[in-house]
Amino acid sequence: MIDAGQIIAIISILATALILGRLLSPYLVRVFTSAPQRLDRLLNPVEGWIYRLGGIDPARRMGWREYFISAFSINIIQMAIAFLILLFQGVLPLNPQGFPGLRWDLALNTVVSFATNTNLQHYAGETTLSYFSQMTAIQFLQFTSAATGISVAVAMVRGFVSGRKDIGNFYVDFVRTITRVLIPLCFIASLILVAMGVPQTLDGYMTVKTVEGATRSILVGPVASLVSIMQIGTNGGGYYGANSAYPFQNPTPLSNIFELLLMMLIPTALIFVYGRLINDRKESRPILIGAYGIYALDIAIAFIPAVALSAGMETRIGGFFSTLWTVTTTAMTTGSVNSSLSSMNPLAILAGFVGMLVQASPGGDGVGLMYMLMYIIMTVFLVGLMSGRTPEYLGMKITGGDVKLVMAAFLVHPVIILVPTVLSYATGAATSVITSSGAIGFTQILYEFTSAAANNGSDFLGSLANTPFFNISTAVVMFVGRYAPMAILLALGGSMLSRRRTSETALKTSSVAFSTVLIASIMLLVVLTFFPVLALGPILSFLQGHTAAGVG
Amino acid sequence: MTEDSAKNENSGGQRAHGGHLVAARVAIISLLVCGVIFPLVVTGVAQVLLPYQANGEPVSAGGRIVGSNLIAQPFTGPIFFHPRNDSASGVDPDITLQDALAQVPRIHSATGIPVSSLDDLIQRNVVAISWISGEPYVNVLNLNLQLIRDFPSVYAGYP
Repeated sequence: MIDAGQIIAIISILATALILGRLLSPYLVRVFTSAPQRLDRLLNPVEGWIYRLGGIDPARRMGWREYFISAFSINIIQMAIAFLILLFQGVLPLNPQGFPGLRWDLALNTVVSFATNTNLQHYAGETTLSYFSQMTAIQFLQFTSAATGISVAVAMVRGFVSGRKDIGNFYVDFVRTITRVLIPLCFIASLILVAMGVPQTLDGYMTVKTVEGATRSILVGPVASLVSIMQIGTNGGGYYGANSAYPFQNPTPLSNIFELLLMMLIPTALIFVYGRLINDRKESRPILIGAYGIYALDIAIAFIPAVALSAGMETRIGGFFSTLWTVTTTAMTTGSVNSSLSSMNPLAILAGFVGMLVQASPGGDGVGLMYMLMYIIMTVFLVGLMSGRTPEYLGMKITGGDVKLVMAAFLVHPVIILVPTVLSYATGAATSVITSSGAIGFTQILYEFTSAAANNGSDFLGSLANTPFFNISTAVVMFVGRYAPMAILLALGGSMLSRRRTSETALKTSSVAFSTVLIASIMLLVVLTFFPVLALGPILSFLQGHTAAGVG
Repeated sequence: MTEDSAKNENSGGQRAHGGHLVAARVAIISLLVCGVIFPLVVTGVAQVLLPYQANGEPVSAGGRIVGSNLIAQPFTGPIFFHPRNDSASGVDPDITLQDALAQVPRIHSATGIPVSSLDDLIQRNVVAISWISGEPYVNVLNLNLQLIRDFPSVYAGYP
């Protein structure tokens, strides 16, 4: 069980994340509303130059279709560029280790994975990717996928703003998110990470003669710049195969806490941004209570069993912070890991599943907020059914059309998780990659597709899943899991534009009572949908472990 | 044609014919900004301000670089403290205080260094952070280098 010191640590970290998110939110609002900022003198000329070179008309206003198509096409082109870089890294510069180009199916999986903010990695970076690939394929897509998610979420929210006629301009949002949010934050974070011991160099691996006289390579590289965006962008894909367990990615106990806060920063800030953008700050409250309530519930599930330092965990990180990280990285759908998932108690894995299935506690950069708005509309509808009143949100009538969109977005997930899980067993592909049979093996496969669908990226299998079946199937799942709900929820936001509003609302969505109902309906929906497979996976393995080891 | 209608036509043209061209151009700009300029600037600044950390915290002994503070290296001889051989990264530079103390009898019988000296050496090298549930731990490379410095006659020939 958890002790008092650990509870204080959890509360302090969550409170710090909330304070940092709250402090960042007014700045983000000015970015998304193009209000005057101190950085204008420096950045206006830079952005003007980007608009001219890119052929962007910043005054242009978009409807949801054009906004989505712009986001989608730029993402496809970015994937194509990164795909070519990975395929031909052997003849490209900054390859001191002389790594050859990637096989096409691994390159495809990798670019889809990074462009969709998933960061599932079927390779170990330090033995596969050149410095050039780490920078121009991996870091590049980590920035652009985060910027895409944030932009699309802000556009959806604009649909809820009273009196607005358009949802903005994708290219302007995308460029400003990069120049004003991600680059400045990542620059500061990178230098702090370097100060903590994360390398940042373009020199090749350092070859040393050890104390006992053996020859060893010290695997340095441009690591800090990647780690900053992998956490801030809720990407999660590491420079190294061992991800944030590798000392160069996460050198000290303090860097571990710092990186936890980095991944919580933007998802938390966007919750506060929401209320400010719609000019009704109290409407951030149900999102905040809902997101952090479910996150706290996940933490509670994960810490039911005792946690201790074990094989598969790093000494400097320890059992407590390995477990807290596993819950946080799934709640934020980041997907970085600081220990081997196989060393986790099945209940910590169950908590991870809940985070990935909900996707909104608070979820990844931007998309987490979109999913939470989806759950709110759904809950408003359910409450309307129960009370016999017309469902309303922010004074707007929720129509049958809205509920259809919400259900379509929700149902994407079960389809793209359950169908490929079954397929991988039916075709025999599963048995060749799992490291154990029964509940543990089933958990590994279910986790793989859940992580892909939720655009999370943590996994049990790693390079074991570098097979054509898993490379292609998870690429499809990541792709659909990212763009289908994004298009549907953007359409939902678009349909809210200039909707008639009544001043009197029957249902106070900013009340604590509504937040409670919100949490209950999210959990109920997710549990009803996924309980059977969760029972066959982590729950069964917890029960078996309980019996076998005689301890809880 | 008024200026307004010309502008509308122009932006209509952007949507119909130039939309993907804009996407392609912005994609290339984002590649240069995020994938090239950003990591190069961070590398430059980090190399100037924090060269020791930016280059992987190299550890020198006997006039040469023997490894990194942060990366475990193999120690196989009975006269040294050994790192863990299981762990998530495979290069965990640390062992718990308990692990270190458990290795004292082996080192004592291989070298003749008194148990109390070894215990004392370990205690002096404990990383003094016990984060919440974290156990006290020691860095294996630093511990062994201290051992070499403290007992040069036993470890003659080592850096």
